[in-house]
Amino acid sequence: MDKEEVKKKIAEKFGDKVQIADRSEKRVYIYAENEIWVDLASFLFNDLDARFDTGVGIDDRDGVEVMMFFPFDKEHYFVTIKTFAKKPNPELDSISPLIPGAKWIEREIWEMYEVNFRNHPDLRPVLRSDTRPCDFYPHKRENKDKHEMSRNKHDGQERADEVAGRPVKGQNP
Amino acid sequence: MVKKIPIGPFHPILEEPEFFELHVDGENVVDIDMTIGWSHRGIEILSESKTWDQVPFLVERVCGICSCSHPYAYVKAVEDLLQVEIPKRAQYLRVITAELERLHSHLLWTGLAGHFIGYNTVFMWTWKYREPLLDILEAVTGNRNHYAMMRIGGVRRDIPETQFGMVRGMLDELWKKNDMLTNAIVDDPVIHARTKTVGIFNKDQCRLYGALGPTARAGGYNVDARRDHPIDAYGELDFDVIVCENGDVFDKAVVRQLENFEAIKIIRQCLDKLEAMGPMKDDSELCMEIGEVPPGEGIGVYEAPRGEVLHYIRSNGGNMPMRHKIRAPSFNNILTNEASVPGNTVADAGLITAAVDPCYSCTERVGRVDVNSGERYLLSEGDLIKLSAEKTEEIRRQLGM
Repeated sequence: MDKEEVKKKIAEKFGDKVQIADRSEKRVYIYAENEIWVDLASFLFNDLDARFDTGVGIDDRDGVEVMMFFPFDKEHYFVTIKTFAKKPNPELDSISPLIPGAKWIEREIWEMYEVNFRNHPDLRPVLRSDTRPCDFYPHKRENKDKHEMSRNKHDGQERADEVAGRPVKGQNP
Repeated sequence: MVKKIPIGPFHPILEEPEFFELHVDGENVVDIDMTIGWSHRGIEILSESKTWDQVPFLVERVCGICSCSHPYAYVKAVEDLLQVEIPKRAQYLRVITAELERLHSHLLWTGLAGHFIGYNTVFMWTWKYREPLLDILEAVTGNRNHYAMMRIGGVRRDIPETQFGMVRGMLDELWKKNDMLTNAIVDDPVIHARTKTVGIFNKDQCRLYGALGPTARAGGYNVDARRDHPIDAYGELDFDVIVCENGDVFDKAVVRQLENFEAIKIIRQCLDKLEAMGPMKDDSELCMEIGEVPPGEGIGVYEAPRGEVLHYIRSNGGNMPMRHKIRAPSFNNILTNEASVPGNTVADAGLITAAVDPCYSCTERVGRVDVNSGERYLLSEGDLIKLSAEKTEEIRRQLGM
């Protein structure tokens, strides 16, 4: 389906619940409110016949931005839908009951960013090993910052110990 | 004191390990549970601490076989953000490297599939024919793998005209061998009996599960990023997208074999175009100058041998990506086993999970649970190959061959 027609149909159906940004000839980005997230995905996949590709999570100070890609292959362009799951408890409805191909990517976004996908048929870690702590979400900015700060602090202490001639922690004296 | 060193569930030298737990009733698989992530390397986070120019070096190492596809999708994502079109010569050079990679990847899979069903002659032949390809890649890029050709705005090096004859000669030879190999596979009644109607994954399932590449095209789901989202020179090249309709293991093999011919056609066309352009005059034909990367986001897609690979990048105007998402085709394709394996036997399960062409170690170990008794035990790679080869032998006996 033609890009302009898709934009028009989405704007007609969802009104002010969506904001459409036409970035280039082949890329359309649509920001959607949480409550229409599944309806919008369903409209693209079932009614407009888009293909489901994958999703991305991006952590922000106030929440997690979740986006899903729906390419229109015959017309050579991508529609990307985005929404914002607010902190402290980011939550979204799952699109997996509708599109089984979204199961793993939603599981990944949950385990990396702690976005709870409601109605997901099997929400458990997909990439995490058994040994990683279950309440650690590696892509969350606070965890990244914590990791960064503790590492720098430790490095600084090691250097200070070395300069002062004290035994460096973790090394044999 | 005796110490125990646990190894597994993945092989220490192969990448992309997976663990499959098959729920079986007698010999029949009724359900499957898959666990991936055994060697999660955190490449996305690593990438977010590298400069824009350092990232291709890193993403080349996402996969040893797709070491052109990932940097290709990444540079296209950045170029999508920048909205630039690279020089023509660089476009052809990118396509040549990418298609050479497709050839060697498909031949590698055909060999492994042959080994898996007990046809070790196929395995030895295909790997023998694959070897000159790797020599060519070494000659034109400097490396048998990890070609280091891609950079934002173009490529790193030219292929001089003096090497064209060598590449053309190898392609002519490979065309004949691939033709022979394709006929051998298509005409073999044992391969028919062993792979037809095994692991069927139809068009509707492909769409629901987001299947990609040969896995999707074997089931009649006509997707190919080279045609659907043409990048660089692909839009002007003449090639066919191979599509079958049954979605079984046989069709997946046929799609890959026929795609080899298309890849050879594409490379020949690029060589013709480069010849017509004449020798390179200066470096600006290889790579354009790229300045600062402004804030924004970009999507890069490329049809890797296993299917469409997608890279998403977001920039905040700094010298490194603020977010870099990598989605390899196997991430979508491995999930399709959920629908294609149940209903088949344990001897076929290994073949079906290998038919999506994940890396080989995926079938390294399989857990088996008897749904009646609850008994659990593990099957090793050797057990699976033995089971699979025994089934082929049985078919051969029944056919009187």
